Amino acid sequence: MLSKYLVKIVSGVVALILVLLLWVLLISKPSDGLVARSPLLGQPAPSVVGSTIDDQPFELQRRKGSWVVLNFFNSTCVPCINEHHLLVDFANREATNENGAELYTVVNDDSDSAVRDFFSKNGGSWPKLKDDNGTIAVAFGVARVPETWIIDPNGLVRLRVTGELSEGLLEAQLDKLRNEFG
Amino acid sequence: MKQNKSVWLLMFLLVGLLLAIGATRSGSAKTQQDRIDSITSNLACPTCSGESVFVSQAVAAQAIRLEVARQVSTGTRTDDEIISYIEQRFGGQVLLVPRATGLDSLVWSLPVASLIISLWFLIRAFSRSRKNKPSAPSAQDEKIVEQALAESIAKSRQS
Repeated sequence: MLSKYLVKIVSGVVALILVLLLWVLLISKPSDGLVARSPLLGQPAPSVVGSTIDDQPFELQRRKGSWVVLNFFNSTCVPCINEHHLLVDFANREATNENGAELYTVVNDDSDSAVRDFFSKNGGSWPKLKDDNGTIAVAFGVARVPETWIIDPNGLVRLRVTGELSEGLLEAQLDKLRNEFG
Repeated sequence: MKQNKSVWLLMFLLVGLLLAIGATRSGSAKTQQDRIDSITSNLACPTCSGESVFVSQAVAAQAIRLEVARQVSTGTRTDDEIISYIEQRFGGQVLLVPRATGLDSLVWSLPVASLIISLWFLIRAFSRSRKNKPSAPSAQDEKIVEQALAESIAKSRQS
């Protein structure tokens, strides 16, 4: 008699666990294309203090008041090479905007000379930040390049795009964020 | 029987005591390198499968190792705080040892729960089998067997 009850209880518990798992599966938001999740979204951007490959000092916290776009880059990474012309277009578009976003390349595991060569061949005059120890990459949780991050004028992280950018994605996302957060 | 039980109880107590001592014992003072090694051994390389940051040569793992070393050398964060910092950046999948809080705690509690339930089932099964042991034959049973034996001996003599 007891074992019958026990079987019912155990089956009930197993069924409940399965229903819970199904529920978690149903309510979890699917990944929105390349726009990725990060625990940093909506949080203050990590502190970044360093210099550009041209030895100009850089401090992310001092860029408050502007939209900032950080693109983690390596000159030998194929998706980085593929998306470069889109970044050039994006930088040109933002340059014409009075409150245009500031674009920065974060050099990931690459030499300054290789980066200079790449940009002189392919265009792009925005600053390139050194990240020799990978401190900036770790602070943002970047494991693979390319990755692109958008930080709002209040210094809060608003968007993370992993992998190669698609045409118009960055512009569309930035416009959406500008409408949402000003 | 009673003595048997107390031996088992003593053994359980001893094992429990040794486990408690082992879990709470603090080792000798750690050097900075010990701390770096210990922290990076508990972190998974985010770009490789099944490797810790401690052993991996991937760029991301090297960057995490350097960041851990930097934070250890500044001495402002504990080991747990450094692990939390990396976890907040790379997500929970970077932890090689799951946390004992939230949903992750199921990883620790489910095996213990299933062990307890299995033990309970085993104990129940054994006690049932003990109850169902055949009882000693009654006087009537013995009489029937004796009669049957006598009949078969008589038959064999006749033939």
